[in-house]
Amino acid sequence: MTRGEIKDVILEIIADIDEDADMADLKADEPLRDQLDLDSMDFLDIVMELRKRYKLQIPEADYPELATLTSCVNYLEPKLKGL
Amino acid sequence: MADYSLIIIGGGLSGLAAGIRFARFGGSVLILEKHAIPGGLNSYYYRKGFLLETGLHAMTNFAGPGEKRAPLNRLFRQLKLSRQEFVTREQYSSLIYFQGNNTLSFSNDFALLREEIACRFPGERDGFEKLLAIVDAYDPFTPKKWVSTRTVLGRYLHDPLLTDMLLLPLMVYGNSEEHDMDFSQFVIMFRSIYQEGFFRPGATMKDFLSLLVDKFISFGGEIRYNSKVESVALRDGKACGVVLAGGETISCDAVVSTIGAPGTFELLALPRQEEKYAGRMSFVESIYILPRQARETVRIDNTIIFYCLADRFDYGRPREAVDPSWGVICFPEHFVGIPPADYFQIRITHAANYDLWKKASALDYKAMKEEWGAKSRRITSKIIGNYQQNIVYEDSFTPVTIEKYTAKAQGAVYGSPVKVKDGITPCGNLFIAGTDQGFLGIVGAMLSGVSIVNQHILKAIDH
Ligand SMILES: Cc1cc2nc3c(=O)[nH]c(=O)nc-3n(C[C@H](O)[C@H](O)[C@H](O)COP(=O)(O)OP(=O)(O)OC[C@H]3O[C@@H](n4cnc5c(N)ncnc54)[C@H](O)[C@@H]3O)c2cc1C
Repeated sequence: MTRGEIKDVILEIIADIDEDADMADLKADEPLRDQLDLDSMDFLDIVMELRKRYKLQIPEADYPELATLTSCVNYLEPKLKGL
Repeated sequence: MADYSLIIIGGGLSGLAAGIRFARFGGSVLILEKHAIPGGLNSYYYRKGFLLETGLHAMTNFAGPGEKRAPLNRLFRQLKLSRQEFVTREQYSSLIYFQGNNTLSFSNDFALLREEIACRFPGERDGFEKLLAIVDAYDPFTPKKWVSTRTVLGRYLHDPLLTDMLLLPLMVYGNSEEHDMDFSQFVIMFRSIYQEGFFRPGATMKDFLSLLVDKFISFGGEIRYNSKVESVALRDGKACGVVLAGGETISCDAVVSTIGAPGTFELLALPRQEEKYAGRMSFVESIYILPRQARETVRIDNTIIFYCLADRFDYGRPREAVDPSWGVICFPEHFVGIPPADYFQIRITHAANYDLWKKASALDYKAMKEEWGAKSRRITSKIIGNYQQNIVYEDSFTPVTIEKYTAKAQGAVYGSPVKVKDGITPCGNLFIAGTDQGFLGIVGAMLSGVSIVNQHILKAIDH
């Protein structure tokens, strides 16, 4: 998957988790949590959704890697190579 | 491979929420419910053509759709239910009514309670504000040592009447302990009732349960009714399946039990430990149905009235079968936006003594129902006006009914006073959710199901 595709997947997952999410103003390098007003329970959903879709195992220790849109893409790029 | 990744025992609100949560991400899950319909403590039944709801006075934790961090909306997101499409009907206002015409009104606008306290207890105003600051800063969800709510309140409020008045709604809607309350639970209830508030679903509880069951099934979950779990099959100290009444065994990788601590221990062939885990607070509840014309004779300005006519409010198992000196009077259709129908209900709740109801013979049981029903009607008529002559149908239930229909030991609606907050049991892959895990009420039970699955099942299981 390209970086652009990965980003779209993340945005799609967030839109799916939160019907009120305002994606238009999302800044790629700022924490998703603060911008979207999400909590750790919502965050687990991103992890679970990635697991469901791509059989990706993301250990709890790695959750901080998913803090911003850019860090998500950085973290997922090698894992989703070839998909 | 096991038949299911997860088996959930009990199709009440915590079991349904736990099921949706796990099925949502593709996990194979089976809910086993011993009754013919879902809902547990919060279910419904039909009598004489009326749809009666067993548990619902009101749901707590009201929040408008935009308030993302509010527990209600977090819950909806976790269950992938649309909060936008969910119609809520808010309460008008509720009243705390104590002997000597002492009253406090509250609504879903917290400012009302604040004003009421400032106006009726002017000397307590600053203390109450200080208490609020404590409540706002408190984290009730990380496990802590038990702290006496009465002691904390005593530090900020000087008039025991105000303490009793504030405690009544919070205790009767969510305290499993007698007399006092753990301060964490106080904070949870304070927020969910006074700061968030009461509402009901626009539709019936039956519709709400269908919404949950349909969601569960749409994610691939399975539910079986009339399926009582009789024991948990163990291998090397871990649960490997459950055995149903009738002998069928179903295998699984993990179990969530929502049937309370004593019942769960019994399934594991451990002692029930009723002395420790059976709660002592149970209730009788009467449901009266009256024709619309009778509205004029009843004072229906509040949605719920919490009253106490005794000198002090004592939340505990009464010495007699019922304690009608305090209780709850609820008008379950009296919410903003619900048009009056041909009939309306009055629901009245009092603390009751499980032992006395349990040991009564069938004949005595019936006579006790009549005797206490009459006493209750006499007392509550003083508060809302005489409604007795207009009752067209009535039904009531006791601690024994609650025990029979939900398997809550001793009919303790709020379960054990000792909560298993982390959900962990002596059996490594079996977890407790729902009432005995600690979150109470409809919203609380669902949050409990969600958080136990998040914490112990989703983060752990690979599939
Ligand atoms: C009269 C009354 C009024 C209430 N009013 C309100 C209110 O207005 N607002 C509010 O928020 N809350 C209210 N509550 C509380 C609320 O209903 C409960 O807190 C909540 O529903 C508890 O859900 P639960 O899933 O933890 O337990 P339960 O609902 O007890 O669910 C447990 C389920 O397990 C099933 N079960 C038991 N044993 C077995 C077995 N061996 N095998 C298979 N299944 C089994 C039971 O049949 C039941 O369906 C009220 C309760 C009562 C009784």
